[in-house]
Amino acid sequence: MSLSLPGEAARPREGRRRRGGREGSALTPYLYLLPFMALFLVFVVYPVGYGLFVSLHRWDLLAETRPFVGLEYYRNLFDPETPQSQFFWNSMKNTGFFTLVSVPLLIGTSLGLALLLHRPIFGRAFFRSVFFLPGILTVSVMGILWRWMFDNQIGLVNAVRTDLLGMQPLPFLSTEGLAWVPIIVGTVWWTIGFNMTLYLAGLGNISQSYYEAAEIDGATPWAKFRFITWPLLAPVTLFVFVTTVLASFQLFGQTLVITAGGPNRTTQSTIQYITEEAFSNNQFSSASAMAFLFGLVMLIFTYLQFRIMARDARGEN
Amino acid sequence: MVTPSTRAGAHASAPVATATARPPRRFRPPRDIPRFALLCVLAVIFLAPVYWMLATSVKPEVDVISTPTQWVPANPTLDNYREVLTSPDGNILRWMWNSFFVATVFTVLHVALCALTAYPLARMRFPGREAIFWFILGSMMIPGIVTLIPSYLMMIRFDWINSFHSLIWPGLAGAFGVFLLRQFFLGLPRELEEAARLDGANSLQVLWHVILPLSIPSLVTLAVFSFMGSWNNFIWPTFVVTDIDKLTLPVGVNTFSQRYVTDYGKLMASTAIASIPVLIAYLLAQRYLIAGLSTTGMKE
Repeated sequence: MSLSLPGEAARPREGRRRRGGREGSALTPYLYLLPFMALFLVFVVYPVGYGLFVSLHRWDLLAETRPFVGLEYYRNLFDPETPQSQFFWNSMKNTGFFTLVSVPLLIGTSLGLALLLHRPIFGRAFFRSVFFLPGILTVSVMGILWRWMFDNQIGLVNAVRTDLLGMQPLPFLSTEGLAWVPIIVGTVWWTIGFNMTLYLAGLGNISQSYYEAAEIDGATPWAKFRFITWPLLAPVTLFVFVTTVLASFQLFGQTLVITAGGPNRTTQSTIQYITEEAFSNNQFSSASAMAFLFGLVMLIFTYLQFRIMARDARGEN
Repeated sequence: MVTPSTRAGAHASAPVATATARPPRRFRPPRDIPRFALLCVLAVIFLAPVYWMLATSVKPEVDVISTPTQWVPANPTLDNYREVLTSPDGNILRWMWNSFFVATVFTVLHVALCALTAYPLARMRFPGREAIFWFILGSMMIPGIVTLIPSYLMMIRFDWINSFHSLIWPGLAGAFGVFLLRQFFLGLPRELEEAARLDGANSLQVLWHVILPLSIPSLVTLAVFSFMGSWNNFIWPTFVVTDIDKLTLPVGVNTFSQRYVTDYGKLMASTAIASIPVLIAYLLAQRYLIAGLSTTGMKE
């Protein structure tokens, strides 16, 4: 490729011109795009506008009329008197807490595992599989499994506490605060493999020559990590950070299956509350307003992810 | 077993010495032993829930709740499996089939649709190309929760509640797949396409005979992601499918979880059954899955 002469490089351009003429129909590319764009407009673009419309009207599936109410449902969310506002902000607090605790944990543990597994070691492929494996389980399986692990009386965690350590069993699932332990531990177990794989790929891209140079200078392992590995992994870390925050915001299945949002709504996530409001209480307008408000908060991070992907798109051009 | 000290000595003297003494292993420097030990401990912790699931699934109910804890099933039985498989509250094999059917149809349509869309965006010149691409890519900024409720209301209007249509069509026009394939198509050499053109191929033939065969790694990556995404989807099917015979596996297993709240023997048998197909699929697709994941979404 690097051997091609300037004249050769120009040739494909000519060819394209000629072909464009012979192909004859300027419509061809649009015909290719048609099926996707049709589905895209119906199932992606239209629902956004429709959702906004629903949030501005009083929507009742059974009622004949759906009067325009303006920002009433949005205002309700900022009026501390309404139950919607209490439950919604409570769920936002829960989701925020989960994100704040789980994101650093998920990044730290997956980077640690990747560092342990990066250099060759006996059984490396086996270990990689073991750590990746939980991620393929579906969320309800993972949730039921961790509910059982942390069962108040006879789960494995309490069995170890009582039978092996001589401690009292802890009612993890029904104690406020403690109920987060199975959710967070389960989530780390469940998702560590994905991030680990991204970090392993990132570590594989770091040239060995940096480390050799550092070794000549007598750098300690910590110095090598601090001044070579960590800065060169920054793009991976940013990607992992953004995608993990987004995934944490979308917390739903884990809390639904493990604690059902309890005890006393202390682990109810925002998406869980929005779906409760919509599908159990049939308050589609109120739930839509919450979805838009919540979507707005998430938009900052989705924008970051979009920027990372857009940078890739340009880079290839 | 070889102690760390002999290994260190052998390694320090010469690699040849180790080779003659015993078949060479990949334990290299002595400091790898603590690393290996740590990995073993972590692996045991990671596998503990899986062991606990399998052990519980073969215990009769009295043994599940017995104290002291039965670490190894004393009276193993397949009763839990039999009862879960023949439960009148829902057929787990039926749900598995539903999931498989939906995920397969979705994956085929999604990959085909994304390829058809990415092709002109990567390899043709036409007015509005960039605008259309950025419009599609920009849709990735819409958080999923925003479209959940309006999409549900649309499903009611289409009369698609409890229909597989609602599990297949709304997710097909995904920007990520178009993005992934377009990036790959952009990197393919022009020359092959030119040659096919000179032989009189039309654009569809170029796509089918030139572009797609060269893009198999990225097509497989997208297919694996699509299949897994559809198979594991939880939120949307929970609400658009309520008919017990139409449930997908994740939703169905969760209905068991609500029914047998504390009957962990049956719950663990159902989760074990639900895990078997993904386990097999994982073992088959492992290479693609990890390779695809490593190369997706990050450059530089």
